[in-house]
Amino acid sequence: MLEQTLSIQPLKAKDFASDQDVRWCPGCGDYSILKALQKALAESGARRESTVVVSGIGCSSRLPYYLSTFGFHTIHGRAPAVATGIKIANPALDVWVVTGDGDCLSIGGNHALHALRRNINLNILLFNNEIYGLTKGQYSPTSAVGTRSSTSPKGSSEQPVKPCSFALGAGAGFIARSEATDQKRLPEILQRAKEHEGAAFVEILQNCIIFNDQAFDRFTASSVAADRQLFVRHGEPMLFGKAANMGVRMNQSTLKLEAFDLNDGVAGEKDVLLHDENNKFLAMLLMEMSYEVGFPMVFGVLYCNRDARYELDRHLTKEPDWQGLEQLFKGKSSWQV
Amino acid sequence: MTFVVVEECIKCKHTECVEVCPVDCFHEGPNFLVIDPDECIDCGICEPECPVDAIYSEDDLPERQHKFIALNEELSAVWPVITEKKPAPDDADQWQGIPGKLQYLER
Repeated sequence: MLEQTLSIQPLKAKDFASDQDVRWCPGCGDYSILKALQKALAESGARRESTVVVSGIGCSSRLPYYLSTFGFHTIHGRAPAVATGIKIANPALDVWVVTGDGDCLSIGGNHALHALRRNINLNILLFNNEIYGLTKGQYSPTSAVGTRSSTSPKGSSEQPVKPCSFALGAGAGFIARSEATDQKRLPEILQRAKEHEGAAFVEILQNCIIFNDQAFDRFTASSVAADRQLFVRHGEPMLFGKAANMGVRMNQSTLKLEAFDLNDGVAGEKDVLLHDENNKFLAMLLMEMSYEVGFPMVFGVLYCNRDARYELDRHLTKEPDWQGLEQLFKGKSSWQV
Repeated sequence: MTFVVVEECIKCKHTECVEVCPVDCFHEGPNFLVIDPDECIDCGICEPECPVDAIYSEDDLPERQHKFIALNEELSAVWPVITEKKPAPDDADQWQGIPGKLQYLER
């Protein structure tokens, strides 16, 4: 008997690029996310034939064209629903959802909510640029109060949705935040999301250079980033600042987090909190921290609940009594279970 | 794919490109800039910024400039990152468009 050994060569990031011309505006943060995703897929040993990237509508949602994996550019806000169907039909596939702040939190808020709540094993990447880019600059559900746009000429007055807090409230088991241009840590976060069994949600802050340029500069500009960003890792102390001299501690009487200088004598290194990504209460506090309220902006894996297993396949193990669509239409309106 | 800095930059070294790069992938040598191909995200914003047209997409690179792909990769590994614009050399205009400048590259 002839035995053949099939050798599978490891793929490089470039192998995940398609032959399509990438059409985002020059300088767009989406290029950076595309590159990070290609790196993450290569480094995690993903296979093109077992990877599907599903998108909705918006600038972000052009991404599947630029990957050599399977892709599906679906309808506005419904990518999580289509991705859910793909995952149910073939649980062996690695399914990614690419969406934006409009697609995911405006028209698609409902679908995102339920994909997270059901804990479907999807990796949902939310490209958050706090503006509607594809439709030329209307304010979005995540736009900061005061954002001037064609639909808010006097500045928006609505409170923005906080995507990570939304995901936590919906029941996501894995929630992370990254900056689009962080080519060192974003691929690592994307790999973690891929490994997580269950719904993984990654908010990626992405600069729209045309309609909302410098929206995140107050904490991403290289001159201030070290002092205004905290990157958390499980089990490591929450330290930030150019000299790692700033820490985050819990005020025991107010149950609020506080940022403090280790050199000011009020509190020491022993008071600095260690990040525990399994702690939902801590995750909630971290997600609410922002530069505006005297804290650094927090990046990294904010929450990871390994106990929240992906249970959907449990409900699908029974062979359904399926006799075809025709029979279903012509059949009775009641069933015996 | 990546973007590549080519011969036109040598001894001209205008630095408009470094300020627009969203991922800080330019590296600076004594009289030339290079792009780190591992860091470049192919966004293309630097290309029109260069006043001497010294930045090309790898896919559109003229045949005679192909050696600069390896040169960008090699030198970006040793030269420091540059993120802020600085004045071009005093004689930059005199060197603009002069062919065969590779011999003047300082490492």
